[in-house]
Amino acid sequence: MFGSDPTSAGTLLAAGVTSAAVSLWLLLPRGTQSPASMRLGTVLGLLALAAFVATGQRLGSIGEEAVFLIVSLVAVVAGAATIVTRSPVYSAIWFALALAGVAGVLLVLGAQFLGVATIVVYAGAILVMFLFVLMLAQPSGMAPYDRVSSEPLLSAVAGAVLLGLLTLSIGRLTAEPAACCNTPSRAAAMADAAPVAPAAADVAKADRMESDQVARLGAELFGRHLLAVEVAGVLLLASLVGAIAVVSRGEAAAASEGRFSR
Amino acid sequence: MMSLPMLHNALLVGAMLFSLGLVGILTRRNLIVMFLCAELMLQGVSVSLVAWSRYHGDWGGQVLVIFVLTVAACEAAVALVFVLQAFARTGRLDAAAWQTLREATLPRVMDSKLPADDTLAPSWPTLSPAGVLPPGDPQESLQREHV
Amino acid sequence: MQPLFPATLLVLVPLLPLVGAICTVLLGRRLGPRAHLPAVAGIAGAAAVALILLLTTYAEVGHGGAHSEPVRPVEMITTLWQWASVEGTPAGEGLTSGAQQGFSIPVTLRLDPLTATLLVIITGVGLLVAIYSIGYLHDDPGYPRFFALVSMFVFSMSMLVAASNFLLVYVFWEAVGACSYLLIGFWYSKPEAARAAKKAFLVNRVGDFGLAIATFLLWMTYGTLNFHDTPNSAIEGILSQTRLADPGGIVGGVIGTAICLLLLLAACGKSAQMPLHVWLPDAMEGPTPASALIHAATMVTAGIYLITRCAPLFVACPGALAMVSIVGATTALVAALIATVQNDLKRVLAYSTISQLGYMFASLGTGTMLGFTAAIFHLVTHAFFKALLFLGAGSVMHAMGGVIDMRRFGGLRKVMPITAATFLIGSLALSGVPPFAGFFSKDEILATLHAKAYPSAHAQEHGDLPVAAGADRSPLHLAAYSSDAHAATPAGAAVGLDSLNTPAVWQTLFWMSLVTAGLTAFYTFRAVFMTFTGPVRVPPEAGHHAHESPPVMTWPLIILAVPSVLAGWLLFSTDALAHFLSATPSLWAESVRHTATPLEFHWDLAIQGTLAAAIGIAVAAIGHLGRRSDLPQMERYLGPLEPLFANKFYFDQIYQALIVKPLEGLALLAALFDRSVIDGLVDGVARIPVALGSLVRNMQSGLLQRYALAGVMGVLAIVYALAWQLRG
Repeated sequence: MFGSDPTSAGTLLAAGVTSAAVSLWLLLPRGTQSPASMRLGTVLGLLALAAFVATGQRLGSIGEEAVFLIVSLVAVVAGAATIVTRSPVYSAIWFALALAGVAGVLLVLGAQFLGVATIVVYAGAILVMFLFVLMLAQPSGMAPYDRVSSEPLLSAVAGAVLLGLLTLSIGRLTAEPAACCNTPSRAAAMADAAPVAPAAADVAKADRMESDQVARLGAELFGRHLLAVEVAGVLLLASLVGAIAVVSRGEAAAASEGRFSR
Repeated sequence: MMSLPMLHNALLVGAMLFSLGLVGILTRRNLIVMFLCAELMLQGVSVSLVAWSRYHGDWGGQVLVIFVLTVAACEAAVALVFVLQAFARTGRLDAAAWQTLREATLPRVMDSKLPADDTLAPSWPTLSPAGVLPPGDPQESLQREHV
Repeated sequence: MQPLFPATLLVLVPLLPLVGAICTVLLGRRLGPRAHLPAVAGIAGAAAVALILLLTTYAEVGHGGAHSEPVRPVEMITTLWQWASVEGTPAGEGLTSGAQQGFSIPVTLRLDPLTATLLVIITGVGLLVAIYSIGYLHDDPGYPRFFALVSMFVFSMSMLVAASNFLLVYVFWEAVGACSYLLIGFWYSKPEAARAAKKAFLVNRVGDFGLAIATFLLWMTYGTLNFHDTPNSAIEGILSQTRLADPGGIVGGVIGTAICLLLLLAACGKSAQMPLHVWLPDAMEGPTPASALIHAATMVTAGIYLITRCAPLFVACPGALAMVSIVGATTALVAALIATVQNDLKRVLAYSTISQLGYMFASLGTGTMLGFTAAIFHLVTHAFFKALLFLGAGSVMHAMGGVIDMRRFGGLRKVMPITAATFLIGSLALSGVPPFAGFFSKDEILATLHAKAYPSAHAQEHGDLPVAAGADRSPLHLAAYSSDAHAATPAGAAVGLDSLNTPAVWQTLFWMSLVTAGLTAFYTFRAVFMTFTGPVRVPPEAGHHAHESPPVMTWPLIILAVPSVLAGWLLFSTDALAHFLSATPSLWAESVRHTATPLEFHWDLAIQGTLAAAIGIAVAAIGHLGRRSDLPQMERYLGPLEPLFANKFYFDQIYQALIVKPLEGLALLAALFDRSVIDGLVDGVARIPVALGSLVRNMQSGLLQRYALAGVMGVLAIVYALAWQLRG
């Protein structure tokens, strides 16, 4: 949301990537961790968050900007908490919060149906299923494998670098076409990828999208994509039957082997 | 209709969610947390899809997100069954418990330094010894079982 | 000639045995002890058809009587289908004429007097042998296999003599070789039989190599491989009537001689002539009926057939012809000498076969009409009496429980009278005692050799004679000994072999043949006396039931004995065979035809031949008649020659030292090279990926998340590349 000086933007991005990597490494479960290192990680994480927020762009109205900032921060912070929390139950609860943030982002973006559907389907159904499974399968106390991570440093660096590259690419994509594509051949190559100002027809279409959101989405879904909807229904049924079949057979096998059957 | 800055920011949020989910799936060893992380990655992609859909005024992106939701539900159902089966076989939700497909000459990867987890260990009240208590009183342990 | 009727019949001759063979293969196990039925039925049908064809062809040729009218060539061509066809290309730079005219292999059968005669011999003897085998092999586990092979052999041999194309001849030349290999190795679990089969196969390869090269040379020289003229083709068949009517149609000189010598090599391999004769005596490890059919009566005569079929080619190359006779006469003498000291009855007969085939070669080499017809005449009579002798030997072996060493039995005329009588007939025929069959055919061979050796004597006899006249007419004629004649064939002068074609050589060959006749009588009757006369002795292997063979075995003996007695006189006195054969296109060729002489009985030669036979029999009688066959034999009087004969002139040892041992050394070297260098290289190459793999092996931890991390690293690289594309 700050100036677009290339040098300072590059520095900002590098700082954000570095602090994000270090922060994630500090926060991820690694066996013994002192509270100080956890605190340092949190601070670095917040710094990284600030750096990435700074790479964002200003929106038109202050109100829209504030709402978007809040919901997206909720989503990202909760997401980060999901992956660094040791207890899987807390992870799931953080994930629910992240879902709420995502739903907010979707609502801000104007996808009302999806925003609500995310809450209903994910937080309402899928997450509850996760919690049930945790209840069924969680041993008493904190399991050792929840207190260690697999390759935390490399993974944190990889994730942070990926984020940096994506941010860079997004920035280039949404920059002014003239600034982005300074050579003719590059301009031709990017013609498909670079978003240009929507044509008049697109504007009219988008205006139509503003009203009757859910009805139009439903018409689209059950019109053009009817066959895919049918297939998805079959997929749901198949996964239902498959899950039951695997459970029953697995129970029988486990019982015959006399292992950790419950 | 959506503005270019909004698209930018939405894509940024999507990328952050995706990267966080990726780091989680690479590091966390609990199978269920790994699935949570996978869902987090899906959320990041969903945000991006919706942003592009709104920007272009095309319903395709949102329809795709609906299908992502559907498939995520199916995947969660089937995958959780497998997680349960895996737990039934090993008694653990550990992804590292399954490493039999390694090179035959390599040793099994074990957790080298596992600290005693103090936070959740039961802490018994320490009583000052008043009088003579026979060591190893069976009553004491019997009671403590039910504390 | 009606086009359809004989054509269909001709196809039946090979087809029926083939069907019989296939049926035996498919149904053999189910038929059990009746497994001979399809094969015998097939061969019997083929024999009947062959007889009809012979009569049809004979009617077509007509009975010439006193040469009232010139003989017309008789041949009938049936093209079944086109085996392979390659389009010719337009004339261009660097193309041979062969490439321009294309290449086609029609599957064509032909019927002419030579083919008809041989078909009757093949199917007739084949039928008798098949019937005989019903008794001989009745309890052998390989019973169906034997009949399938015999039937297959009759098919292949019929196709060989009926094929009208050098490539087809080559194919079936190999096919009869394969049948022979399988029948020699019939008792494949017996090491000697397996070794003998291998030896026969390998030695035959040398001859087959000659035939293959000869076929290539023929193609390059003539541009076709067909015997016959192809309709709508500018190229005359190699042995077609149009080419043969043309005096310059056959290529002589170095190329022609090379072709003929290669064909002779092929014939030597198949007909067991020196130096490729070593396989035939060992081939006696096979079942006796197979020996009778393949290694006495039919397959070994394939060489005779080939040379007779190619007679015009040979006549154009006097040097090659002389080589044929030299090889034949030498083989005849050497084989006869070896046969005199053999104690194995079947081996005596095997060497006798080699010797008699040598006679035929000697006769062919004279290159006269009489020589060719005499060779075929001897082939016919020899097929009868040698099959008879082999089947008789098999009968003895059957009764003696597999023992074939003549020193271990004796006096069998009292035990098995039919076998003894028929064997005696066969022996008389083989020895050339008048009036048995062998006498007449051998007499004709001696006569044709004598005519070559002493041309002046014959010229005086005949006066204005075709022989002398022929010498004037054609420089190719064999009577042309003078250097002028050589000069007349410019290319022929280059061939050094032609210098062999002198009266002195022919005289030597004639006297060698005469000596061989005496030796033949000696070893034959030595075998007869050792086996059938003297006190009765039976080896213990025979058990208590040494007896005459069953009728299914004796009847073929009796049937074969009849032509062994009569065929010679009938065919000679009427001159039917010679007249019939002269209608064969190959023998009708101008260069052969003008050497024809009228039928004549040479009293002097007949007396010489009979005398030689009588001396041989007398010596055998002095040495062996009435004596115990296990007592010391006459060969002790041979002195230093005895080990030479007994060791077969050391041929096997020489081949072992000169060819087998060096080859084995070479193979050993190759094996060493293969094992150390080649395998070392391959192993070395294999070690490279092993070394590379060991570098990254530790990454194969089995941990899912490490693999995922590696994948993410790859994705990072791709995303980096994409971001690089988007740079400002």
